[in-house]
Amino acid sequence: MLRGQQVTKRFGGLTALNRVDFAIEPGQIVGLIGPNGSGKTTLFNVITGFYRPEEGRILFDGHDITGARPHIVARMGIGRTFQIVQPFQNMTALENVEIGVLYGQGLSHGSESQARAQELLDLVGLGHQRHTPVRNFTLAEKKRLEIARALSVRPRLLLLDEVFAGLNPGEVKQAIELIFHIRRELGLTLLIVEHVLGALRDTCERVIVLNYGQKIAEGPPEEVFNHPEVIAAYLGSNETH
Amino acid sequence: MLYELVQSTVSGLLIGAAFAVLSVGFSLTWGVTQVLNIAHAAFALLAAYLGYFASSYFQVDPVLVLVVIVPLFFVLGVGIHQVLIKITAQRAHDLALSSMILTFGLAVVMENVMQVLWTPDPRVLKTSYTGKAIFVGPIAIATTHLISFVLAMLTIALLYVFVHHTLTGKAVRAVWQNPTGAALSGVNMGRVTNITYGIAVATAGIGGVVMSLIYTFDPSTDMVWLVYIFLVVILGGVGSVLGALLAGLIIGLTVGISGVFIPLVWVNLVLFLALILLLLLRPSGLLQR
Repeated sequence: MLRGQQVTKRFGGLTALNRVDFAIEPGQIVGLIGPNGSGKTTLFNVITGFYRPEEGRILFDGHDITGARPHIVARMGIGRTFQIVQPFQNMTALENVEIGVLYGQGLSHGSESQARAQELLDLVGLGHQRHTPVRNFTLAEKKRLEIARALSVRPRLLLLDEVFAGLNPGEVKQAIELIFHIRRELGLTLLIVEHVLGALRDTCERVIVLNYGQKIAEGPPEEVFNHPEVIAAYLGSNETH
Repeated sequence: MLYELVQSTVSGLLIGAAFAVLSVGFSLTWGVTQVLNIAHAAFALLAAYLGYFASSYFQVDPVLVLVVIVPLFFVLGVGIHQVLIKITAQRAHDLALSSMILTFGLAVVMENVMQVLWTPDPRVLKTSYTGKAIFVGPIAIATTHLISFVLAMLTIALLYVFVHHTLTGKAVRAVWQNPTGAALSGVNMGRVTNITYGIAVATAGIGGVVMSLIYTFDPSTDMVWLVYIFLVVILGGVGSVLGALLAGLIIGLTVGISGVFIPLVWVNLVLFLALILLLLLRPSGLLQR
């Protein structure tokens, strides 16, 4: 479904991604982990068109999307959440989601677009707060909205960037349940960036590990988490939970 | 005294609407694209000259010339964005600062071209209704002021409807509130930015014609207008259409009423003292939450 070949991204003298290959098959849940600055978010930005890679190609369902602009990538069916949530602060929850329904799916404005937006809010459990301005939401609510916004372009592939960060253990548990629920309902393929390793152990079938822009391991979570290079990469950074 | 007060309140409000329409486009580009288009007032001045020459050479009413000016300036706005701003945006580290210097340069070039073409002489617009007035009781309303007021209010009303009640306006607001979120929702940033520039410069055109109905102008007047624009945008809040209207009216009233009590040259002093107070008390504008 999504395939990266020799993806390389440099910022001046720093190589943020170094010849990274990856492949995600339809229906999979894949985790993307690595210490801070390892290139996880850069890879997301390259896939979703915020950065153009210097070398390599990104293929989505066989189409070359390397360097396509973000709104084109979104319309093609790749939804994305940001680590720092990106809501429209002065709009209501319903309006926030409706933007993507209108522009990402190309529905015309009317009762149908509002109904679609409402469905997505119901799905993430914010249906009763549709008329609340988003600036009044808590962080956990904003993260739910971020997921609904990502779903609003009707993606087949959803990229989640640290959706669990900043949530308490109870909220993390709810968020995991929500993600599984959404995946079942919509039949999505997921690529998840995460620092909370425990969360990934329970959710992912396969994990890709980046360190200093290079892929150092790939495989089932139990196997990857015991990989000597992965342990070494995480030991210095104090981020293993 | 009471008569003078009422009279200057009325004319102050009429002038205030002109300040609002002159400024609202500047506010919009600043809000949506983080660019301070210093040349905004120079475009307004260009429109004032176009209206002036159409009326003095071809005896066409300057208000009618807007039929040409508005679409022409829309294209001009899109062109400025595509040719100047976009290239700067790709290379600049600080877009707000770089674009401010760039558009300041553009304003200086435009001023000088206008000076070479049309001499530094001050111009006074003469229309068929200049010098005429409508009387409401003892209160005189200059026809030019009334026409400029109607034109200004109409423009602002249309702009408000566009921003708040159309699909494209929704995209404009989305980009303004969160460019990243908008792109992720499938909004084409390039298109929204083009439309914003087109509309902003088109309203500058209307603003220039409206101002020329009230004030004399010469090739350097744009810097005087720019001062009013900054006052309106800071008072009304960046990107807010209603804020610009409210701020324009307040500033018009201040100009009108303080003119009754103090010499006209001191009026700007009052305005800027008020601005300093405002920046201390409500730095993000009157209507911002």
